[in-house]
Amino acid sequence: MSENIKDIDNIEETVEAANEAVADEIAPAAEAVAAEAPSKPQKAEKPKKQKGLNIPYERRKALYGYGFILLWFLGSIYFFIMPVIESIIWSFCDAKPVPGVGGMDLKFIGIQNYKNALTVHPTYPTALPEVLGDTALKTPLILVFSIFIAIILNQKFKGRTIARAIFFLPVIIATGPVIDIINGNMDSAGTNGGTEQFNSLFETDLVGDLLAYLGISNISEKLNEIINALTSDIFNLVWNSGIQILLFLSALQTIPASAKEAAQMEGATSWEYFWKITLPNISPMIIASLVYTIVDSFVDPENPVMSIVLSMSDNWEFGYQSAMLWLYFGIVALALGIVIAIVNKFVYYEVG
Amino acid sequence: MATRKEEKQFEKEMKKIRKARYEKMKDEGIENYLTPEQIRYNKNKRIIGAVWPIFRFLIIFGLGFVILYPIIFMLSTAFRPSEQMSDPSIVWLPKSFTLKNIEETFEIMNFESTVLNTLKLNMIASLLQVVTCSITGYGFARFNFKAKGILFGLVIAMIIVPPQIITIPMYLQYAFFDLFGIIPLITGDTVSLIDSGWPMYLPAMFANGIRAGLFILIFRQFFRGLPKELEDAAYLDGCGPLKTFIKVMVPNAKTSFLTVFLFSIVWYWNDFYVSSSFFTQNETVALMLKNLSGTLTYQLFNNQPPGIRAMIVWLESGCLLTIAPILIMYIFLQRYFIEGIERSGLVG
Repeated sequence: MSENIKDIDNIEETVEAANEAVADEIAPAAEAVAAEAPSKPQKAEKPKKQKGLNIPYERRKALYGYGFILLWFLGSIYFFIMPVIESIIWSFCDAKPVPGVGGMDLKFIGIQNYKNALTVHPTYPTALPEVLGDTALKTPLILVFSIFIAIILNQKFKGRTIARAIFFLPVIIATGPVIDIINGNMDSAGTNGGTEQFNSLFETDLVGDLLAYLGISNISEKLNEIINALTSDIFNLVWNSGIQILLFLSALQTIPASAKEAAQMEGATSWEYFWKITLPNISPMIIASLVYTIVDSFVDPENPVMSIVLSMSDNWEFGYQSAMLWLYFGIVALALGIVIAIVNKFVYYEVG
Repeated sequence: MATRKEEKQFEKEMKKIRKARYEKMKDEGIENYLTPEQIRYNKNKRIIGAVWPIFRFLIIFGLGFVILYPIIFMLSTAFRPSEQMSDPSIVWLPKSFTLKNIEETFEIMNFESTVLNTLKLNMIASLLQVVTCSITGYGFARFNFKAKGILFGLVIAMIIVPPQIITIPMYLQYAFFDLFGIIPLITGDTVSLIDSGWPMYLPAMFANGIRAGLFILIFRQFFRGLPKELEDAAYLDGCGPLKTFIKVMVPNAKTSFLTVFLFSIVWYWNDFYVSSSFFTQNETVALMLKNLSGTLTYQLFNNQPPGIRAMIVWLESGCLLTIAPILIMYIFLQRYFIEGIERSGLVG
């Protein structure tokens, strides 16, 4: 065995040496080729194009880079930057659409719209902290849950493919209006609502009976409430964490098998393995999932702020609406920045 | 490299040897071989190894049930006669099955033409999106240029900024489309793109479609993971950068292309934002489904809805019809969804 390893080491060394040698040879050769290839047809043509040859290789690559992103850049000017700027301008104006022309009748009123949103509007100021609190509660739950599920789905067991397929089903369905209708229907379907129907399946029969059997029926009511809250969360939890599970699963795949072997040799328990190996390795993905979760929950058209803002466009008050949106987005961006800055301190980045 | 079968065989043999050795050690008194800590560690490990699979099964089964619950509900109600909705003795299995709901919903949603229309919009937009996003992602992955950081920040901004912020300005841009004042020069007036397919095609054509930022990010990460020697070889052989991209990089990125394409299809299929903002007559499946309750009241019941509970069967039939094509696609291609993301190098 050890001899083999030595051999491999040797081979690697020789390969490296060979690579370096080749690289040394290539460098001038590449320049020669680069100089020759375009020059052949150009000799016959106008000498004006000769200038292109004088651009150094690095500069030329930079130009190619611009070429590759040009299409996207043009598009984002027209489909992203321009609308964004326009909407920022509106937020400082009293904007009324001019029928038939496609412009807005703008009257600059400074930060009046922002002031109105925070002080005059009946529900907006109370909806803001509600959404923030809701997200602050939901996000860690979703993250912990999806890490847990990802670890389970990463283990080897029979029927893993089916389990994975089921757990990613929400990714496919939950993005559309289908889930809204299903939720609404289940709420009106039985005497129990959709999520409550679960609870009746889980708690009243099992936990309640068990506790009653044990003779502690007093506690069971309180406990039922807690379980109610938890199980109703489970439904939303599972249906909102499809993408996050996917992200964590892909991160788990990058942990080398040798790390696990080494940990086992040293006698690490699964618990230690999770904290010392798994978590540091997937921590870069935690940020990605965090951003995704927070943005996803803020943008959800069902949440109170979004529904207020979206209903504003019925009243043709576009300046007011964009002021509300930008205020909201500003708060979200601030929260996101703070959270990322904090989490980033704990993220482990592999060097090299 | 050993094949998977050989590896399995090897593992089996190792297990056997380990077990035999353990038995032997036990016979000779295990204390002679291992420290007490090691014994405890092994014991704990064995207990966990025996108990954990049961827990795992329970967790997966329970949560799988939670996920499948709405779909079971959908199947249970979609084939149920409307009268049986208010029968308290029926929970899951209806007393009789009927295809009437499905047929009626099929007709009301104008399903055939709607699906064809959605498919057309969907396919064109997704194809354009994959092509343009991959080109952009490659540009970000392999070339150094000034302001790259700022430009990539723009990509991130595209992911984070909610599309609702720019709905109204976009609407005005589409309704009075002038493309920096070029089109009025030709036709004399601005063109309205509302209700045509262009609000979907145009952004996709310029890598700005639905969730384009995310796709650019995926492609960038993937192309960064490919070895640089691939391109150097192509450059040496005299390929230009575009030819290198098409001939060398694209064939290597097949899985990543498929993943992005599938996700793009799913998101365009489910898209409600673009279709509700920029279409009024152009019928997409998601739009039809969202308006189904209204259309039902108007067309089937002559403005006298029979109550929310009785209407569930038609609504659920609509849901079933809507997700059926996507679900079938998912069943056949699900491994590309999952493995694709894993391999696409999203983790960089």
